[in-house]
Amino acid sequence: MRSSSASCAVASFAGAFAASHGPLIVRDWDAIPGDEKTRLEKAFRELGRRVAAAKPDVLVAVSPDHWSNFFLDNYPAVCIGVGESNEGPPEPWMKAYPHRNLAGHAAFAMHVAEEALRQGFEPSLSHRLKLDHGTCIPLWRMELPQMPALVPMLVNSIEPPMPSLARCLEWGKLLRKAIESYPGELRVGILATGGLSHSIGEKTMGAIHEDFDRETIKRFSSSENSLLEYLGKELPSRGNGSEEVRNWLVAHGAAGGRGFELVDYLPVPAVIVGCGFASWRV
Amino acid sequence: MRDYWLSKLFFDLQNPAVAAEFRAAQEKVLDRYPVGPEVRRKVIERDVTYLAGRTNAYLLRYFFYTVGMKDAEFIRKLRGG
Repeated sequence: MRSSSASCAVASFAGAFAASHGPLIVRDWDAIPGDEKTRLEKAFRELGRRVAAAKPDVLVAVSPDHWSNFFLDNYPAVCIGVGESNEGPPEPWMKAYPHRNLAGHAAFAMHVAEEALRQGFEPSLSHRLKLDHGTCIPLWRMELPQMPALVPMLVNSIEPPMPSLARCLEWGKLLRKAIESYPGELRVGILATGGLSHSIGEKTMGAIHEDFDRETIKRFSSSENSLLEYLGKELPSRGNGSEEVRNWLVAHGAAGGRGFELVDYLPVPAVIVGCGFASWRV
Repeated sequence: MRDYWLSKLFFDLQNPAVAAEFRAAQEKVLDRYPVGPEVRRKVIERDVTYLAGRTNAYLLRYFFYTVGMKDAEFIRKLRGG
């Protein structure tokens, strides 16, 4: 709830949400079987409705960087976009995405960075990022009536070694602290993207582990230890794309670990992703 | 294992202009990347399994998508078919 006193107002946490992404959700949209496409559309829109209802002025978009900004020369574990604006997706097949320039929130983003450094976290910072399909597919399909300012948080789940699962959870808690210590009336939400199980460019490409996905969803309602233990044990054999569940852990940490309401989950072989959609209980 | 220059080639091919140039004259583009002779040959032969061991899996997929290999064939080759 917004404070009525401007002098001591601080930002408030507007909610945490998650949605899967995957290139084929755009590239092969027309090839997705009818029922699955309908459910995907419905899930994205419902999530969009929930995000819009939370009225965020800013969305922290937690996603991996799919080699759009970083290369082997320098691949940060975590990068925060602190710029006034960021570029839309560079992928040629995302050309139809309507936002080529996406407003950031430099002041809030820098506050997150400073709070992180104070707390012993050392993110990389960027004043201009390209927000690739990982961030933009959910934003596109969610059909938000108004695009909030976006603060990108790119978490490496693409190129090993990756930040630990526990650290991602801690990052979420840190985000929450940063939100609630930011001086100013601002509603800040979190949108985590990626997961659940999928496998890209490796022998198991195409595999979806529905059992893993459903157990992971269940564990988000259990203790942190149970969730981390399960993911730590299972992730190495559940496809490289499943590593993106790190972003869900950031959202989980920010939301206080109270579990989420599952908007929908469906394995979609046509897009080779176990597609999950969630809004956290706050 | 990461072959830096092979990976750099695949990374750069995300740029549509470089991809178009590669499709038109791959030898000319390859000349700009100091990859070993065997790696160069395997790129030209589109040897999925060989290249898979030398780069990031996402970059590998981008490359084969860029050169027009359908996912079904890519997956079959990944599995050694």
